[in-house]
Amino acid sequence: MNLIPLVLYAAAAVVYAIHFAKRQPSVGRTATTLLLLAALAHTFVIGMQTMEVRHVPIANPSRAVSSFVWLLALSYLYLEMASDERAMGVFILPIAVGLQAIPAFSPGIENADPVLDSPWFWVHVASLLFAYASFALAAMLGLTYVLQFKEIKKKHLGYFYTRLPSLHILDAMNSRAVMVGWLFLTIGVVVGVVWMGQARALTPGNSNLQAMSLNYPKIFIALLTWGVYSFEVFARSTMGWTGRRAAWLSALGFAIVLLNFLPVSYFVTTSHTFQ
Amino acid sequence: MHLFLLGVSHKTAPVDVRERLDFSSRDLGAAVEALATRPSAAESVVLSTCNRSEIYVASRDPSRAREDITGFLSEYHSLPPETFAPHLFSCGDEAAARHLFRVAAGLDSLVVGEPQILGQVKEAFQTAAERRCTGPMLSKLFHWSFGVGKRVRTETALGEGAVSMSFAAVALARKIFGRLDGRRALVVGAGEISTLTAEHLRTQGVGEIVITSRTPANAEALASEVGGRAVAWDEAISALATSDIVVTATGSQRPILTRAHVEATSGRRRPNPLFIIDLAVPRDVEASVGDIEQVFLYNVDDLQSIVQENLSRRTAEIAHAERIIAEELVKFATWQRSRSAVPTVVALRQRFDAIRRSELQRLDGKLSGLTPDARARVDEVTRLIVEKLLLEPTEQLKALPDEETQVAYTEAVNRLFRLRTGESTSDAVDAAAGTTRADQPHK
Repeated sequence: MNLIPLVLYAAAAVVYAIHFAKRQPSVGRTATTLLLLAALAHTFVIGMQTMEVRHVPIANPSRAVSSFVWLLALSYLYLEMASDERAMGVFILPIAVGLQAIPAFSPGIENADPVLDSPWFWVHVASLLFAYASFALAAMLGLTYVLQFKEIKKKHLGYFYTRLPSLHILDAMNSRAVMVGWLFLTIGVVVGVVWMGQARALTPGNSNLQAMSLNYPKIFIALLTWGVYSFEVFARSTMGWTGRRAAWLSALGFAIVLLNFLPVSYFVTTSHTFQ
Repeated sequence: MHLFLLGVSHKTAPVDVRERLDFSSRDLGAAVEALATRPSAAESVVLSTCNRSEIYVASRDPSRAREDITGFLSEYHSLPPETFAPHLFSCGDEAAARHLFRVAAGLDSLVVGEPQILGQVKEAFQTAAERRCTGPMLSKLFHWSFGVGKRVRTETALGEGAVSMSFAAVALARKIFGRLDGRRALVVGAGEISTLTAEHLRTQGVGEIVITSRTPANAEALASEVGGRAVAWDEAISALATSDIVVTATGSQRPILTRAHVEATSGRRRPNPLFIIDLAVPRDVEASVGDIEQVFLYNVDDLQSIVQENLSRRTAEIAHAERIIAEELVKFATWQRSRSAVPTVVALRQRFDAIRRSELQRLDGKLSGLTPDARARVDEVTRLIVEKLLLEPTEQLKALPDEETQVAYTEAVNRLFRLRTGESTSDAVDAAAGTTRADQPHK
């Protein structure tokens, strides 16, 4: 089922790339339309899965990736409409396509442990997924900032200079995306801790829950992520770390997020998956 | 009806001739009206900018148009024809349409791709249209040229990239800061270059302009001229801390802004980028200032090379623009040919309708038993039959691929139906052409 959104995301990615190269407004509108269709199809898929398992399908890593891509697409569409800038699409869509391939080709079964049947858990995962989507946007905004910064600084006004929004706008959007992401990351982590405490008391025999600690890779890396983004938020407001420094921090933060999201979920962790 | 164009441009006439033939400083509307009284100008538009004065007419007798319009220019500007006639260029029909398309696209401009010309072409047409000096021919031609201008702008990079140093600097500032309103600029030096730059910044919406000079009186004078604020030379460094854009243009032989100066203020200004434009030769700003994070330093050579690059990029787009114009010209020529079929079409319709009416009249007695409602229906049905019979031949006649076939076909139709087409029907022809205008594809 996740194949249809994947195909539409891929089509949108191609059209965004053509728009970036050719800069024709009509091509840009087609790209946005395709992405809207992809997001709609994806909403439908997630809606169907929600009805099927009676909760938002995020307990299984593959489905969580699908939900992440969906949130990323929606956040990007919001950004595009708010800023009236389409140039970022070519940087965001490849992430969406690459990640959506996972649920499309290895769907996984949403077969949640009864222990997860708590509103705390859903808030925990949904907040984190939304935070990660914001961080993905921030990272791409940072990347484009650096690309354009280099061209202006080195006085080689070339490909990106003619296509990207101003440094000021990229920096401001990066700041906002990091701020929103950081807020949801904080909510997600706090709720996770609260829920873990409750769940441990309720189900003392669950080895998964008992094993959770800071040594546990997924939790450790999540806290590392929180540390990086907290520093970025703090450094921007008090130390004047804007522009290139903030851009690199966003990229670093998102690299850690991806690390936590994919390899750690699939290969390292044995217990943060409840199946 | 034929198109005819006569005029001077920066390619054919020196500036003193262009100045004497200029209409833009005088009442353009009155000029078009005066021109329209000439016998060879059935429709007329006058396009006058600092680089060109061009007269477009639709004429039934193009052989007389040149002489006629030269006479008009001579009378209107009170100049003997021999003073400007050698500089005139003229062309007709397709060549005239091609010229206007190239002008509207910015291909004929002094700076290729400059954006103002399309607006000027629109204005010229508007003025003539308001005075009722245009008709179906020029109206179609000019509207088509607006479409061509727009297509070239959106489909090619002909108008892209700043092609003067001051515009290049402003474009850079926008790429760094986004909107410029609310930004602060510091102008160091109060000479000619500084004045021009300060004025340019002001028109671009820069919030506050601070001016400093070694001669305080000069700074004061410039500040009051551009609505800025003058500060003493010694305070310039502290003004630097609150500035986003710095322009230097002094005659100093040694750098006046060093890395130490900028670094000293960086504590106060750290989060904000600083864009320094050094317009002085020898340079006013130490080159190493550009190494500071968040400082963008551009000197005269840097800006000049951007301008050169943009110019060569525009040149590379000319071929693309010419292709678009060639395409549009083919479409326009098809429309024009369809117009030459119009007299035949009109005559054909009149003939068929006359037959219909006379037959209805002949049957008048037999139809007298019908109610008025039924009679109206009979009238309607016969009219529809005629319409439908003529629809296909009309379309075919208008869509013939070339001039020769067009002539042969219209001649055949004229003979088959014994039609007489001529000047007497020309008003009806124009009206018919006017009504078909909307059906023609514009792009």
